[in-house]
Amino acid sequence: MILQGLRIALESLWANKMRSFLSMLGIVIGVGAVIAIVSVGSGSTQSVTSRIADLGSNMITIYPRTPRGQFGRIGGSSSQEKFSLELAEYMEKFCPSISSVIPTKQVSGLFIYNDVNVSASIVGTNPSYMAVNNYKIEQGRFITEQDHEQRSQVIILGSELAADLFEKNNPVGQKVRVNYQGRIFMFQVVGVMEEKGGSMAGNLDNQAYIPLSIAMDRMTNSHYVSSYIVQAASSEKASNAVKELENFMVKFLDDENREQFRIMSQDEILDTMSSVTRTMSLMLGGIAAISLLVGGIGIMNIMLVSVSERTREIGIRKALGAKNKNILYQFLMESLSLSSAGGIAGIGFGWVVAYFLSRYGDWPLVISGISVILAFGFALFIGIFFGLYPAMKAARMNPVDALRYE
Amino acid sequence: MNDRVIRVEHLKKNYYLGKVTVEALRDISFQIDSSEFVSIMGPSGSGKSTLMHIIGCLDYPTEGKYYLAGQDVTRLDDNQLALFRNRKIGFVFQQFNLLPRATNLKNVELPLIYSGVKAHRRQELARQALEEVGLGNRILHRPSEISGGQRQRVAIARALVNHPSIILADEPTGNLDSKTGLDIMNMIKKLHERGNTIILVTHEAEIAKYARRIIHLKDGLIDRDEVVA
Repeated sequence: MILQGLRIALESLWANKMRSFLSMLGIVIGVGAVIAIVSVGSGSTQSVTSRIADLGSNMITIYPRTPRGQFGRIGGSSSQEKFSLELAEYMEKFCPSISSVIPTKQVSGLFIYNDVNVSASIVGTNPSYMAVNNYKIEQGRFITEQDHEQRSQVIILGSELAADLFEKNNPVGQKVRVNYQGRIFMFQVVGVMEEKGGSMAGNLDNQAYIPLSIAMDRMTNSHYVSSYIVQAASSEKASNAVKELENFMVKFLDDENREQFRIMSQDEILDTMSSVTRTMSLMLGGIAAISLLVGGIGIMNIMLVSVSERTREIGIRKALGAKNKNILYQFLMESLSLSSAGGIAGIGFGWVVAYFLSRYGDWPLVISGISVILAFGFALFIGIFFGLYPAMKAARMNPVDALRYE
Repeated sequence: MNDRVIRVEHLKKNYYLGKVTVEALRDISFQIDSSEFVSIMGPSGSGKSTLMHIIGCLDYPTEGKYYLAGQDVTRLDDNQLALFRNRKIGFVFQQFNLLPRATNLKNVELPLIYSGVKAHRRQELARQALEEVGLGNRILHRPSEISGGQRQRVAIARALVNHPSIILADEPTGNLDSKTGLDIMNMIKKLHERGNTIILVTHEAEIAKYARRIIHLKDGLIDRDEVVA
């Protein structure tokens, strides 16, 4: 009986091709939008995730936190002063889940080369910085142990900074002057970093790197660093490492309330990112679902028109022996065929849109099976839900009245 | 008694239009035997359409009994009535009432669809019925592509295809010119000669005379029940 209804429904839909197509359109766009949006959401998440992973493997950063002051004065003892080089050595000793600690000292200065002035930040660090950050050299070399020991005034430029200062000239071997708090330091450029792009830690391409000893002793003459970059022994040990570091810092700084330091791990960044993208895709998916709903109302509208237009046909069918159920199935199958055909077309449409968006946005094309099944299932549900009322209206028609209908 | 196809007892039908009650049928009783050819005649407003709807199992009477093939139809629900219409009654309407978008074959197949005949057998039976009414060469045409007389013949084929107990023809010539009307009436006459029970509803005396018996209706009552020679 259902199959019968389906056949009759398809015949009548085929007879009204244009109208069937138009009433399907709402579902096509709705399903397409759901699939495209979910795909954009997961594609961009994947690309952001891999970009964060690119920042460095199992990286954990520890910053001093400026203590809360009262009445404009700096309160408590400044924790910054406790961020010493010795602390880094203790850290390595007491935390078994970490493989290395890289102290960095960050200052900013004005770079001068011929008549070009560019202000940029300078990171004093040691040779492992490059590997931990998953950073690569484009030209020349990075800081070496020798630079440290000999306190060589060498500098490695980020790609953007190098381009700003030297334009098309080769920077390696050139000398730049850096104005730091009124004093001028001469550096020899020994390398240029590869382009890395923007990241959570700011734009690395716009920085320069010098040996830690130069930054601490010669430029700032201070005994504390700006942050520690810690590498966990492996990605499995990363969360352990964070716990160990936390315990270590609490004990060492005697800071129960964790007010003097902040530990930022890659996991934490990823969590924040993915919760942001999840919220975004939920919101957009919701909007797409509303458009599906509107498409469903469109189907109901067309079905109601179709039922009243075919009142006489319903009367004829009933006179010839169609039961209420036959008529119900016939019209239900019509709306179900509309919504499922719309759903299938919508999957194709969403796929194409997602493909072009992924090309445009430069992220991988991810079509999740769940989103396809969900969108299609929702379309079917809408076909039944919004088809039921018109179909019941048709089924309940009185045959005498229906036959008289002009 | 067994060959009484139709037995109607004290049939009444009221329509309620707001506060006004219209008595369409007031007290109708008659019997029709198998293989009879009966005309129900009367001017418009006499209640003949209402009577036809009830005999055709399209409507319920307000009061009274109606036995079709021995079964009290007034006790049946919608679904059982649909089954009765499908198995026991073949309709021929004034307006033909064919589905305009379906081919003649599909139109004739319709009653078989609802009685659950398999597609292959259905086509065969429908084709046979169309051949019987002389439209074997118009099987795949649509109603809009053939003449009025041919349309009515498609409708007759459709009425016959399920081998019903009665053929109920409601003003079958009303929309046809007199010559085509004559053709249709001759065809109906032939069906009767082959043993079909036929009930013809009309307001034209000329048409009613094809039957052997004429039931005259007037103001919801039987005015005269005459046997024609």
